[in-house]
Amino acid sequence: MGLSVHDDARTATRLGRTSALVKLGVAIVWLLGVVVTPDPRGSLTMGLVALAAARLLGSVPMRELLRGLAPLVVAACGIAVFTAIFAAANTASGAVLLVEVGPLVVSAAGAQAGLLVGARLLAIGAISVAFASTTSPTALVDALVQQGHVSDRFAFGALAAYGALPRLSTDLRALRDARQLRGLRADLHPRLLVALLVLAVRHAERLGVAMDARGFGQGPRSHYRPLAWSALDPLVAAGAGIVLALVLAATVS
Amino acid sequence: MAGFGFRFAGAERVALANVDLDLAPGTCLLVLGPSGSGKSTLAMALAGLLGRDVPGTLVGSLAIGSGDRGLVFQDADRQLVMERVEDDVAFGLESRGWPLEAMRARVPDALVDVGLADRPRAVVATLSGGQRQRLALAGALAPGPALLVLDEPTANLDPAAAAAFMARLAYLKQEASTTIVVVEHRVDDTWPLADRLLVLGRDGRPLAEGRPEEVVERDGARMIDEGVWLPRRMEPAPPVSAAPILGPDGEQSSSAVLEVLGLGFAYVAGAPVLQGLDLAVRAGERIAIVGANGSGKSTLARLLVGLLPPGAGSIEIDGLAPSRRPPANRLALAGLVFQDPEVGFLATTVDEEVRLGLPRGAGTETRAARLMTALGLPLGAYGRRSPYRLSGGEQRRLSLAPALLREPRLLVLDEPTFAQDRAGVTTLVEILRARAEAGTAIVAVSHDERFVASFATRVLELRGGRLLDRGAS
Repeated sequence: MGLSVHDDARTATRLGRTSALVKLGVAIVWLLGVVVTPDPRGSLTMGLVALAAARLLGSVPMRELLRGLAPLVVAACGIAVFTAIFAAANTASGAVLLVEVGPLVVSAAGAQAGLLVGARLLAIGAISVAFASTTSPTALVDALVQQGHVSDRFAFGALAAYGALPRLSTDLRALRDARQLRGLRADLHPRLLVALLVLAVRHAERLGVAMDARGFGQGPRSHYRPLAWSALDPLVAAGAGIVLALVLAATVS
Repeated sequence: MAGFGFRFAGAERVALANVDLDLAPGTCLLVLGPSGSGKSTLAMALAGLLGRDVPGTLVGSLAIGSGDRGLVFQDADRQLVMERVEDDVAFGLESRGWPLEAMRARVPDALVDVGLADRPRAVVATLSGGQRQRLALAGALAPGPALLVLDEPTANLDPAAAAAFMARLAYLKQEASTTIVVVEHRVDDTWPLADRLLVLGRDGRPLAEGRPEEVVERDGARMIDEGVWLPRRMEPAPPVSAAPILGPDGEQSSSAVLEVLGLGFAYVAGAPVLQGLDLAVRAGERIAIVGANGSGKSTLARLLVGLLPPGAGSIEIDGLAPSRRPPANRLALAGLVFQDPEVGFLATTVDEEVRLGLPRGAGTETRAARLMTALGLPLGAYGRRSPYRLSGGEQRRLSLAPALLREPRLLVLDEPTFAQDRAGVTTLVEILRARAEAGTAIVAVSHDERFVASFATRVLELRGGRLLDRGAS
């Protein structure tokens, strides 16, 4: 699984100590910014700043960041090329053509649209990877409950779902094996997804009973890892806000 | 607990009825019974979950002295919530609103009690199965429960890990005078700990209750009739009558069906799971492969049936590597039966489950119908039911059908007695014996020592990536 391991050293870094709630807020606002800016350079700048922050302020190894980003790079390039080739602008009258090979026509406007889509996807990926690699699931739940005052049921439900992801992949492997053993193709058959869903629901039911057996939801919870706001939180929020404002000012006319 | 009973919402019959119990502090009660006798229902009732989290109707009275209750399930993965060891132990304390200082004092103590004191910051997913089960115990223990309920806590553990777990329980019983209730199929480990014994019958009513030795003396025969295991030394005779064993050099032994030479495999380069492994299995042989949790038994099973490609060496079935045959023929070579039947089901009805992937035709119909009748799941009665709604024993028998229908030369089973009661295991061994006599070579991976003793003609131990001979059973 591509889930990050959040060791104690990483938790002690500046981004590691920043409230997960602040990081979540920054990530959401930045994702909106990425979609708002009409310039691919704006999106890419924000993506790069996010990665740099994870590397420098969060001590996340570059290799880990790139590994998380790799599948998105492939997808972003594919979608960018696809958009550029099939953009409606390519066939508009008076379009400035950059490429014309037989039926393949790419106009300047089409290329621009492709670039923008690709850059946005890359930036979305980079911001998500930077967030996930500097925020452990435990830290996120603690922050949601203690600082965001989100209900325990919601926060711990989300945590349990996150923890169930690796199980989903082992279940999927077993189901594909079962298909292969019957001489059926082991690809993603709808039937397989139904079985996967049944298993996930049964697992969730069991986990729910087990959590209740451990006293969950019977009264107000106390906190084993108490959180307090620190000076880092407004600093990170302000820094992120300044970067966003600069990018938007430079690219939105 | 007096005249206690429970009926699940929507169920036709009661799951549990007329249970009377009176447990003094510090006693250990062992609850035995066949599948479907309401053992787990009783465990949930004692943990205070019935009626609240599990809808249904309660009868009678249930009073538990002041103090908390802790519950440990069979599957540790089902009850561990947090990412880190100490956070998970604290989860139950947080739920009960313990102050921070008290939690910081209690968590290390609970980890000491289960032998995990040196790994408070470890990531739960990196622990072994035995360690995770002990962590689940720590989580249940941390709030200092007056009553600790364990539902088949060692079913997923190899014998060494199970023994380590039971040693921890014995320590708790003696040192902390915790009242313990253990629900079990595997009685040998728990027996020395038990002061009292409660046997439930198939109908969910108590069959016998009292001091363990006295109960067995008085009702041992009835317990066996109901499908309850007794400790091995008290069993009147081997659980399954010993059929003539065909050793590797026995007269019927023919050419090798399966020949494995120098097999090596690694998921991660540099960390081999299997290394230089040799194995030859003849037609009609029944091989059991034992080994500690994580020794690579399931990996070997997947390699043998061609779900994983060998990293080194060769696997030949009837003299040819499965990969060198056309895919259609490959299926008739080797079949695999999964550890957890539920995880292998692909269809929404039993009928579909059996037929999936087989050519349509009268021949298939007749063979499927005959096999399912032999497995005790006649399609007339079971065909339209959902595989997920069958009992554990029925699910296990159904999970054999797809492999058996293809009449493979080699049948591989991964922990086939997982969650099976006495009747389930006995039936399974009978089916496998009949198949072996018809010439199928069978390899079963298992840590269930009783199953291995009644099933195998040869026992091999997987250790350090190789198979070591442990001789005929």
